[in-house]
Amino acid sequence: MSMMHASQVNGDNSAAIPPTASLMRWVIVATLPGIATMSYFFGLGVISNVLLAATFGVALEATLLHLRKRPIRVTLNDSSALLTGILLGVSLPPASPWWLILVGMVAAIVVAKQLYGGLGHNPFNPAMVGYALLLVSFPTYMTLWAPPQALIPSGFWSQIAGSLPTTQLDSLSGATPLDAFKHKGGALLASEFWATNPLPEGTLSAWRWVGIAWLAGGVLLLAKRIISWHIPVAMLGSVVVLATLFYLSDPSHFASPLFHLLTGATLFGAFFIATDPVSAASSRQGKLIYGAGIGALVIIIRTFGGYPDAVAFAVLLMNLCVPLLDIYSVPRPTGQRKAQPVKQGEQP
Amino acid sequence: MSSAYDFPGGIHPPQRKQRSNQAALIEAPLPKRVVLPLQQHSGQPATPCVVLGDVVKVGSVVAKREGMISSDLHATISGTVGEISATHITIEGDGQDEWQRLPHLDWQSAAHEALLTRLSESGIVGLGGAGFPSHIKARVVERHAIHTLVINAAECEPYITADDLTLRHYPAEVLEGAQIIAKLCGAPHIIIGIEDNKPEAIEALQRELQHDQTNSQPVPVELTVIATRYPSGGERQLIKKLLDLDVPSGGLPADVGVLCHNPGTLLAILQAVRDGQPLISRIVTLTGDAIAQPGNRWVRLGTSVKELLEQAGLNPSGLHQVIQGGPMMGSPLLSLDTPVTKLTNCLIAATIDELPAPPAESPCIRCGECESVCPVALLPQQLHWYARAQDDAKLARYHLFDCIECGACSYVCPSHIPLVVDYRDAKSRIRLQRIEAAKAEYAKHRFEFRQARLAREEAEKQARREARQAQQRRMSTSAAASSDTVDLRGLRIAHAAAKASVKKAEKTLARVAQEDPKQSLDDLEMQLATAQENLRAAELQLAQAREQQSSKESP
Repeated sequence: MSMMHASQVNGDNSAAIPPTASLMRWVIVATLPGIATMSYFFGLGVISNVLLAATFGVALEATLLHLRKRPIRVTLNDSSALLTGILLGVSLPPASPWWLILVGMVAAIVVAKQLYGGLGHNPFNPAMVGYALLLVSFPTYMTLWAPPQALIPSGFWSQIAGSLPTTQLDSLSGATPLDAFKHKGGALLASEFWATNPLPEGTLSAWRWVGIAWLAGGVLLLAKRIISWHIPVAMLGSVVVLATLFYLSDPSHFASPLFHLLTGATLFGAFFIATDPVSAASSRQGKLIYGAGIGALVIIIRTFGGYPDAVAFAVLLMNLCVPLLDIYSVPRPTGQRKAQPVKQGEQP
Repeated sequence: MSSAYDFPGGIHPPQRKQRSNQAALIEAPLPKRVVLPLQQHSGQPATPCVVLGDVVKVGSVVAKREGMISSDLHATISGTVGEISATHITIEGDGQDEWQRLPHLDWQSAAHEALLTRLSESGIVGLGGAGFPSHIKARVVERHAIHTLVINAAECEPYITADDLTLRHYPAEVLEGAQIIAKLCGAPHIIIGIEDNKPEAIEALQRELQHDQTNSQPVPVELTVIATRYPSGGERQLIKKLLDLDVPSGGLPADVGVLCHNPGTLLAILQAVRDGQPLISRIVTLTGDAIAQPGNRWVRLGTSVKELLEQAGLNPSGLHQVIQGGPMMGSPLLSLDTPVTKLTNCLIAATIDELPAPPAESPCIRCGECESVCPVALLPQQLHWYARAQDDAKLARYHLFDCIECGACSYVCPSHIPLVVDYRDAKSRIRLQRIEAAKAEYAKHRFEFRQARLAREEAEKQARREARQAQQRRMSTSAAASSDTVDLRGLRIAHAAAKASVKKAEKTLARVAQEDPKQSLDDLEMQLATAQENLRAAELQLAQAREQQSSKESP
């Protein structure tokens, strides 16, 4: 029956699990250091992304709930659409045009989430579906990551409004560290490459600070028991192990583990994307495999694939594996001789 | 002292035990009338054996056990039988409190059969919650060798302190009761498992054990203090924790050589054997913010819950709900006009603030919290999906029936999904389906029972006829003995087979009744009755044949 509920008994147990809505809110709070640090280095374009994406997210969720004849206010109260908006917002290049964000949020909220049945039923991480769709559909806009700059860069408003002529776009773009390293070419050794100062002033350290800010948010989530350690540890662990293997085999052509860890979306992905419980594996063992799989795919795609970063693809690919993981990572119930995987179509 | 082993999962809900374990254990006032439900135990309801207006004393049997898994019921106050219905017997008290006890039994010298009979006729059932008849449980030794008797004093649910107080007040009696059970099941070892949140009970036990070393108990007793964590008092969880043994799925502790008993039951066993006092009262924890004088009381069975709570200073305006049992596994009482039964270990009169109604359910976000707290290492989330989808094949594959319904998953669920309610519903639905599916089988068993009964009646008639004829023969001294030779050997084999099938039916019944207390036992009881009828008939035939044989040999 359970007349007691963890979220209702206050005071004497600090380890209580907060209800779903407040889980989501804690994740939102934990994104703040990352958003603040990004805005500090890359300007207010980060904030405009987040605000636009969050607004679109909530509006689209409300519209879809209305069309699906579901309670709107109660459902919106779980803040999950808001969170999806924030996560997609910080993934996009700063000051992305509004229509780009809208297309991404339609893919995330309408297609990836509500059409599958809403919160709890989406097999793919909605924010990453939006991101991946934009990356393959609008590569020009998605690689426009301006170098660290003033808080309000020139052409900020027209950029958001989408009225900036395409010819000017190139002048805004700068390579991210991952992007630059990917295109260094086989002729150049890693040490020679870094000696050429391939990146605009401060880019590398800016990315590192951003990474550390996401890590801080992640630690907060772990400390508050909002997420379990399994996925981030497995993912970061496999990134480090695989990157170290590659690096040791040929330090002159492969990036160092620290480089992989601190640049790009590795830390953000490990704590904020891969840990989305809905689209992740549910058992502890499954979570470890899931996280490790994402980490491995990140390194493989970054090293051998066509894209500089790979967190979105890695997460989506592992989302595909979740039903399988859930079937094969069944723990051994007490008193059962062994864990019995539940095979499809098998009759008991 | 402490244990090295562990079970998975578990939670730490607020204890709230201080509310009821501060006050001393006292006797509740003698009720003026008691209502005794005929079903206060697992198995079949008892059958009334008194009539309206009968004068009864405390300890008089008012209902006899029916079938194998059942229990006798005794008057808990002296007075007259006021009402007998299909479900309960009411006794109007005379205020005299006159007792009728069974004779004292020296358990150390008494035969096993005498002790078992005493447990049975004293109506002793497990007082921890399941209400399983103790004499049936003790007979487990006929099929399994028991190496350890576990005294389950973990009492892991919040609020409840009945075992705590039992041990503080009656440590010697509980230990002696354990010795009786150890003797009955031949256990060479006794372990007491107790959570570390009961220091006074632990101290009382330690004192008693030290004191006992001088007059040496027959079976050595070990005291193991375990960390407080819900649900360490689950039978399987405690056995895992104390002995690192896994009770197999669908099995019983006896399958791994362990027997579990609750301290209250052991006390009742001692009182039944030593004092000849049947089970007529029990210790009940009265607690919750809506009563002024919480604490533990000796309560006569059948006392009205309402009366009991009012005596403890119930504040009706603050009362939100009364929960029978603990807040995790207990259930809310729909009406306060219910009696205390053998199974009532705790009554929580809760205000709305202490145990509020659960918030509205939201969708499962697959966070996996439920899985990490499940003490059986099940996947509560998968069970949730399949229970809602009524996918019984998947439920079986995810081991629904291994769920002990502890409620840890519901407790931690951030979406407030009433998971255990789903599982209980699914289980009862599947039990009903099984009954439906076996209907033809049941009808066959009923038919077989009827045939067996007729055959037995025929055999009885035959026996009477033969006896009459033998009488006449002897009088007329005409030695015209029946010409046909008697197949004595065949009858002996038939008798042995009938005896074996009674044993087998008893074994199956005892097992099923303990494995799933909510299972309907009607069919198995019917099969047992059939086997008993067959045995009776075989006995008669055999006796008759022997009679004939002897009369032929000595004309």
